[in-house]
Amino acid sequence: MTGWNEKILDVDLTTQTYKTYPLDMEMARLFIGGRGLGARLLWDLVGPEVDPLSPENVLIFTNGPLTATGYQTSNRFSVTTKSPLTGTVLDANSGGFWGMQFKKAGYDVMIVRGKAEKPVWIEIKNDVITFHDASDLWGMRVFALTEKLGQNNNKRNVLCIGPAGENLSRIASIMNDRERALARGGPGAVMGSKNLKAIVVEGKDRTQIDDPERFKFLLYETRKLLAASPLTSQALPEFGTVVLMNIMNNIGALATRNHQQTQFEGAEAISGEELTEKYLVKNSSCWACPIGCTRISKTEKVEGEGPEFESTWAFGAQCGIDDLPAIIEANSLCNDLGLDTISAGSTIACGMELSEKGYMDADLRFGRADQLAPVLEAMAYRRDIGSDLADGSLRLATKYGHPELSMSAKGMEMPAYDPRGMQGQGLLYATSNRGGCHMRGNMVGPEVLGLPKLIDRFQVQGKSSFVILHQNVSAAIDSLVVCKFTNMGVADEYFARVLSSVTGIHYDTGEMTRVGERVWNLERLYNLREGFSMKDDTLPPRLLNEAPADGPSQGWVVQLEPMLKEYYRGRVWDENGIPKKQKLEELGLASLI
Amino acid sequence: MPLVKLYANLRNIAGTKELSITGASLGQALSELVRQCPALDGLILENGQIRPHFVITINGLNAIDLDAVVTEQDMIAIFPPIAGGQSNPHPLPLSLWESGTPFPHRGKGWG
Repeated sequence: MTGWNEKILDVDLTTQTYKTYPLDMEMARLFIGGRGLGARLLWDLVGPEVDPLSPENVLIFTNGPLTATGYQTSNRFSVTTKSPLTGTVLDANSGGFWGMQFKKAGYDVMIVRGKAEKPVWIEIKNDVITFHDASDLWGMRVFALTEKLGQNNNKRNVLCIGPAGENLSRIASIMNDRERALARGGPGAVMGSKNLKAIVVEGKDRTQIDDPERFKFLLYETRKLLAASPLTSQALPEFGTVVLMNIMNNIGALATRNHQQTQFEGAEAISGEELTEKYLVKNSSCWACPIGCTRISKTEKVEGEGPEFESTWAFGAQCGIDDLPAIIEANSLCNDLGLDTISAGSTIACGMELSEKGYMDADLRFGRADQLAPVLEAMAYRRDIGSDLADGSLRLATKYGHPELSMSAKGMEMPAYDPRGMQGQGLLYATSNRGGCHMRGNMVGPEVLGLPKLIDRFQVQGKSSFVILHQNVSAAIDSLVVCKFTNMGVADEYFARVLSSVTGIHYDTGEMTRVGERVWNLERLYNLREGFSMKDDTLPPRLLNEAPADGPSQGWVVQLEPMLKEYYRGRVWDENGIPKKQKLEELGLASLI
Repeated sequence: MPLVKLYANLRNIAGTKELSITGASLGQALSELVRQCPALDGLILENGQIRPHFVITINGLNAIDLDAVVTEQDMIAIFPPIAGGQSNPHPLPLSLWESGTPFPHRGKGWG
């Protein structure tokens, strides 16, 4: 079959052995790749008895049938595991080059099991898999390690953890290609728990395409569509994702000082316009990406990729900090240490509120840019106060008796969009299968930017249908795997056509969305099996009970209950949020329970 | 007079971040804005309507009605999508993609 390599690499670190076997192609047809395939495999491999940081947990690296074909943004890949931060199913995906190289090495999936007795790193050169002693690499930071292991963007690509992953921080990321991140939910801690420092890949295979002529045409058409869209051809390349800072602040939906306010007086100083004018060196892009949203920024101390909007917000508005160089440096430091920027920034903000209110004996204060770098260092190495912050805001706030001050959903820190000013975003956070996240669907399109059409962001009734659609489409795109930004210029139907041309299997738009719905329901089943229930489909009390005192969102809290009821009905789940048998049968999931 | 704030590339085009203008409605304010900043002509309005994907707010609330009343105390914010967009006149050959060659970024507005 074309598109897929039809091969799984299964590595056991305990015995330092590996085997390869065929990918179940019926499973591949139903779940495609990336996030969907990862979730399906995790269902079989990791049950509720498994501690996320035990050898029995697995890391499942997946690419998709489009990966490395040259289709626009076909560089991405996923890691799936049970999250040590949330205890839920976790998928994180990343761009850059590693995913393309992994596909070229001849595999669709790599499962990593067990735990090495001593630190190791793995080298993959197609069929040759080598386990190397990593004792002398343990302790190295990401940038130096990536260079030492021979990163070469088109030939040899490095994926690794930094000190945060080694020290089992539950907000540790896995980094690839130096500054790209499988960031959220703590996959770096799972890798650290296995004593696995790095995976280096060199590949030489070409992905076979079923209908090359049709594929070329769609490639050409997609290029035209991306070029014709002002968002993908100009907004993202010119200002990057940080262009959202001013607009979110203007409408009163920019979470500020641990969500105590919804507008930040220093937003202009940390905006995309400011970043572009004063600190942008040049743009960069992932493999096969014509959008090129990556920023290369430079301060007196650092030069590197980013920061993205969410990272700028996390260390900026959320911490009450308007010092853009300090934010750029905090972002770079997180990449070097292997920390998730969103969770790190929001956890520091939580610490600042706990400290200012006298609940925690520390001198953390909102607005103190000078505290960012030392606190991040302390978190990665679990030193002093950092040991309290290293496991995310919910564990921190719980330890000090105020779990309500963690701005998280299911234990994962929410990103920048304050849902009191975007009701649909609130429902999205509450129902996200991996916790507070803007990548499981994002209502900023319809509720703020008018994409594809502007809807009332304060409207409650009827909002769930938009959320469900966005979640399903998001799960489908994550399973292809391509970058969600392409969807700003290219309609879903194109993805179905491209997938058909590559695999030779007919997918239409409806089937693509159904794949997303199947993935979403499977993830829900996984979380239910782990003991999660409708009581976990909620938000911090602050967002449900404390209305902003001023600004455009003044007087609004998230009206979650009516939206949630409507959402369950729309998903064909019962009143307790459990998928009904008829829905599971329709999606081909009934046999799993 | 209402205050108009411009964002992203509108600032470079207009040569300013903000300005005070006259006008009793959003439509009148936008017309006055174009009169004061002729470089914005055709960018914000098209056939008498706000161009697609432009976000305009009055005091932070989305405004789509050009007849919306504005007063001296109001703040109008204009966010472009960014304006324009064009098809790429010189597509790269497929062989370049397949060879793994990184996309040669061409700076602002690659298309």
